[in-house]
Amino acid sequence: MEAPPDNDVLWARSLHFSHRDGSPGLTGISLGVREGEILAVSGPRGSGKTTLLRCLSGQVPVRCGEVWFNSAPVHTLGPMARERLRRDRFGWIDPEPVLVPELNVWENAALPLMLRGTGRRRAKAAAREWLERLDIGDKARCRPHALQHAERQRVAIARALATGPSVLFADEPTAPLHRADRAHVLRTLTAAARSHGITVVLATHDAETAALADRTVALLDGRCVRTVHLPDAPEPEGRAACSLSV
Amino acid sequence: MLALRLTRAARPAVQLRRLLVAAAAAGTGFLLLSCLGHALDHPEDAGAAALRLAWCAVPLAATVYFALAVARTDPGTRPRPGLSAVGLSPARLMAVSALTTALSCTLGSMLALLVFLHLRGDLTGMPFDGAAAGFLAADQPLPLPAALTLLVLPPATAAITVALALRPRDPRPATPDRRGFGRFGAYRRATARETFGTYGRFGSRVTRRTTAGTDAAGQPGPLRTTGSTDATAQHGAGSTAPSAARTGDPAGDVPTGGTPAGLPWGVALVTAGLAAQSYAGDPAPAPSLAVLLGWLLTATGLVVAGPGLTHLCGRLLQSVRPGALRLLAGRVLMTEATRIGRPLGVVCAVASAGYAMAVLYDDPSPDFGPLTALGALVVAGCTVATLLTAAVEARQCRAETIAALLRLGAPASMLRGAAALRTAALLALFGPLVLVVGALSALPSAR
Repeated sequence: MEAPPDNDVLWARSLHFSHRDGSPGLTGISLGVREGEILAVSGPRGSGKTTLLRCLSGQVPVRCGEVWFNSAPVHTLGPMARERLRRDRFGWIDPEPVLVPELNVWENAALPLMLRGTGRRRAKAAAREWLERLDIGDKARCRPHALQHAERQRVAIARALATGPSVLFADEPTAPLHRADRAHVLRTLTAAARSHGITVVLATHDAETAALADRTVALLDGRCVRTVHLPDAPEPEGRAACSLSV
Repeated sequence: MLALRLTRAARPAVQLRRLLVAAAAAGTGFLLLSCLGHALDHPEDAGAAALRLAWCAVPLAATVYFALAVARTDPGTRPRPGLSAVGLSPARLMAVSALTTALSCTLGSMLALLVFLHLRGDLTGMPFDGAAAGFLAADQPLPLPAALTLLVLPPATAAITVALALRPRDPRPATPDRRGFGRFGAYRRATARETFGTYGRFGSRVTRRTTAGTDAAGQPGPLRTTGSTDATAQHGAGSTAPSAARTGDPAGDVPTGGTPAGLPWGVALVTAGLAAQSYAGDPAPAPSLAVLLGWLLTATGLVVAGPGLTHLCGRLLQSVRPGALRLLAGRVLMTEATRIGRPLGVVCAVASAGYAMAVLYDDPSPDFGPLTALGALVVAGCTVATLLTAAVEARQCRAETIAALLRLGAPASMLRGAAALRTAALLALFGPLVLVVGALSALPSAR
């Protein structure tokens, strides 16, 4: 058995996963995530990006294949141990910013810290610091419904970063945003990750987003692919003739 | 047909709720039929029969309330965006919902009729040696139109109420649009507008003073009143409206974070009711009109004050430097105050009435017959079941948030602990309240 590189913080080996109804999710994925890198998992919709992230972060039990985190197996852990691992070492960003609507912004950002048992004062300080860094410090006392969508997404990012996770899983964090918001969110996320040495696994279907990452793993139909050969868009005939500017 | 299929293909918990509705309707129907039997038995005493029939309004109201709560939580009639295109639109779903309710209640009514006929001995001879023959007018023929009219009452009322409550409505702002008075009036929040240079000319970078400003200036976040919330919602309508539409609660009863306003009114009503009862004096032979009025006022007051008390409970729970557990428990209670508080107020009213009755009639009084017991059982069971159903509804509404918390790694035991903490806090507040109200209302009569 080949030993993985020393600086891999998270790796998967021949990961298979099928959904509960039997439809195939992942078919034999092997990849390694190095310490402190930003790894983009790219691929079209339905290629298994979210499933891969859910397997790697221990949200779903892995039946076939292996997932290792810091040289410790994740695939053999029980639900409670995986939950503790998620709480203490991992961060997660949803495509939609699912904040707790009853709590205000800084309480939302401080919630994972409080769940870990950090004191309220320290949790608040850390959350406020990250909210300031993500340009939403002035809205720290608002409820989530008073915020715009991009602001809510930034709160979700602050919530994920405030705990200082070892690995941050971002599942298409910019999918519902416009391009200006998208660039802002991505820039803050990658800058924060690089400055704090946080490993990021970023699922995206967007080539521009993937360009920000250190490395890209392309998925197609639940498999890692090196090259994707898609048919070129055929040149439409008579486009110039139909132009309005004639 | 669609309603039948949707009804049949539900999970056991849902079927159990529907069966409970049927049971409540059966109890109410039997009470109505026994009123008919009593009237047949005593054709000379019309006033007493009318009074009995009037008392049946209480179980009927409890049944309808329960049926409405069950219809709200019915997953079969949840809005389905994908099926709207094939004709399962919100209006159709409302009809399905009303029809399902009518089905359950009709089942109950049929059951009541069967039991009634059986006890009268119309089906298989007299059971129980004719013990029930006295108040069921067993020796007289049953007027079928009257019985059917009475039996149609619970299904029709429940179906109409469900249809009215679940009719599709557009999401709208919580308050009607208020006239803007420009810079002159005091109602509009003064926003310092950038009037210089390109920003001013094109209206860009208009300072949006959102709740951050008001919160910093006035109250902290959780204490925000509904007024400022609505103003914020209107102010940033472009941003909040789509998200509100996406979360898409069709009934528009998304609980806002504001404080329920009913607490002072409720306290005033309860006090007035207790005062009316104490001034009514000694109602030894029969409860007078003033006592009934006092009870009505007290019960209304408890129902009106329920959301406010629940909100207060949640606020107390999350006060003074809360950790994650108390924060989640208290804030959820504050948000769900209206949903949980109303049924809780009803349960509180029924329980205090029961306590007062138990204090007043500690010896089994002669007029406390099986029918009174059945009525009390129907009312108490319906109100408690409504409260539990409201809790289920709140849980359904929060399912997405709970899933997100679990993804974050929040321990499931902590979420259960928060729920237990909420229950304990509500019991600690409402238990003594029931005892106090019951004891106070029994006090003047027991003198």
